[in-house]
Amino acid sequence: MKQKSGKYLVFPTIIWLSFFFIIPLLIVIAVSFASRTPYGQVIFNFQLGNYARFLEPLYLRIFIDTIFVAVVTTVLTFVMGYPLAYTIAKLPKKWQQPGLILVMAPFWINFLIRSYAWVIILRTQGVLNTILLKLGLIQQPLALLYNDAAVLLGMVYALLPFMVLPIYVAIEQLDTRLLEAASDLGAKPFTAFRKITLPLTMPGVAAGSILVFISSLGMFVVPDVMGGAKSALVGNLIQNQFLSARDWPFGSALSIILAILSLVLIILYYKVLQAKEGGASDAQKLA
Amino acid sequence: MCKKLLTGLLLIFLIAVLGGCGGSKDSSDTKVLNIYSWADYYSPEVLAQFEKENNCKITYDVFSNNEELLAKMQAGGAQFDIIQPSDYMVTTMLKLGMLDKLELNKLPNLKNIAHSLQKTPFDPTGEYAPVYTHGITGIVYNKKYVKTTPTSWNDLWKSEYKGHVILLNDCREVFSVALKKNGFSNNTTNPDEIAKAFGELKALNTNVLAYDTENIKQKFIANEAWIGMMWSGDAAYCRRENPDIGFVIPDQGTLIWADTIAIPKGCKNKELAEKFINYMYDPKVSAKNFDYIALPNPNAAAIPLMNKAYSQDPILKLGNESGKKGEWLTDIGEGITTYDKYWTELKTGK
Repeated sequence: MKQKSGKYLVFPTIIWLSFFFIIPLLIVIAVSFASRTPYGQVIFNFQLGNYARFLEPLYLRIFIDTIFVAVVTTVLTFVMGYPLAYTIAKLPKKWQQPGLILVMAPFWINFLIRSYAWVIILRTQGVLNTILLKLGLIQQPLALLYNDAAVLLGMVYALLPFMVLPIYVAIEQLDTRLLEAASDLGAKPFTAFRKITLPLTMPGVAAGSILVFISSLGMFVVPDVMGGAKSALVGNLIQNQFLSARDWPFGSALSIILAILSLVLIILYYKVLQAKEGGASDAQKLA
Repeated sequence: MCKKLLTGLLLIFLIAVLGGCGGSKDSSDTKVLNIYSWADYYSPEVLAQFEKENNCKITYDVFSNNEELLAKMQAGGAQFDIIQPSDYMVTTMLKLGMLDKLELNKLPNLKNIAHSLQKTPFDPTGEYAPVYTHGITGIVYNKKYVKTTPTSWNDLWKSEYKGHVILLNDCREVFSVALKKNGFSNNTTNPDEIAKAFGELKALNTNVLAYDTENIKQKFIANEAWIGMMWSGDAAYCRRENPDIGFVIPDQGTLIWADTIAIPKGCKNKELAEKFINYMYDPKVSAKNFDYIALPNPNAAAIPLMNKAYSQDPILKLGNESGKKGEWLTDIGEGITTYDKYWTELKTGK
């Protein structure tokens, strides 16, 4: 009896997901095979033209550029995020919570507003340039905004917490006895880190990388606000199809391609993770 | 018992979801006038006065470009009584049968609109979309950095402005600059002319600091940009905030635009909507409204009633006087795909 009534609890979720996730997704898929009139009305005549158009060099290049930016962002967030997560995980217990809250604090402010805050800091007469000029370190204001470096800065800034949190969890859960054993057997701290901590926290790194990579694929605010809308990423291309080119079918097809790309990455991640876990349990059995 | 409770909750949830889809209807007797327009297009005082006089409530939602308005109207479901499409979008909406004809005898105040704007290319009979505000695109520059007054679009290409030019983040507007520079129409669908303009824009790209529509004003006020393109109304705003800002209309010509006020087909409160339009063109109301929003006012009868800050603004004056140099953007139908492709390429070619 108890079990039976428990089932009903999932109904609202199912209704919610079908109304606001599955049905819209089906609509996007349907529209991606449609065509459109010059005035942007969608005509449902099944055709693959929108997917074929994606293969044109112009659009392929935007995808490649986007993937490149996403890879660089992921690597940079890892390089910056791992030491940060490690430091927080090694703090005394009572300081860990405040440390994590500080990492997440930026989320309390809308991302768009934070992007504009960067503009105020970096622009020609912005906070940073003014300080450097006053200190006499530079003679001319530096061009810090509206270039690829500014886009990368914005992306890394926005996505760093997605890297830090999973790594923190992995390091925090690490069995410290393994490190003690290594030290007993004469391993130097760095060797122990390299041979034990790093490999065992790789699942956290992988989870963080997937989160960062997929989020950066869909990013369009940063290139617009901090990049001066000069370099288009896939997110901007899709937004443009819906809001100015009046081409919903092509925009939908691009969205589906992006979704498939993300899905493939997630599946790969689980496959690798499973293989790893299988390997780990084998090792445990041997021990 | 537990089961009943859950079923009840589920029902409530369903009602909430389905009820939400049905659109909101005000249960009380006061009528609601739904306006869908650009940001900062009304003085709150003027709206409050209309609410009081007609015992109604006004909701004012904003969009940031015409395509967003069109998308929202095409998606359906939204109930608007007043919409404010720009010139070429009026053409599109008329072609799609989205606008309702106005009953001109109920709108006597429309005759206050300046003669030159009574009939427009997008609304030749003047029965669908009267001009609400209008403007012209010109060259904006900061006198601190640009020492010789620019006269032509060619000035944007000067190498000394490398990395200091800001253009609107708007495909048709940006192409107009390059098309006019070459003496072409900014509504051309000739592929060679568009290709030539694209080549020029690609060269200009090295000078461009950013493409921006929403925050272009702030970029000029904060001395971030030296020179660029801007709408006359925005330029007037910048000059009030930063006296170094200048504005000129290039000799080669430029584009002019107008935002209109219209009633969509299927509007539930047509009578109230027409009353509202008529009210907005009353000279006193119009003067009060445009003193506040400080955009060019097409209402000839209202001009003598406007405050000094408005009537003596050199940029607004220039905008009003140089309308002849401008060409309207018209709807070019399928031609937009050519522009869009080049536009995308412009944003990827580094």
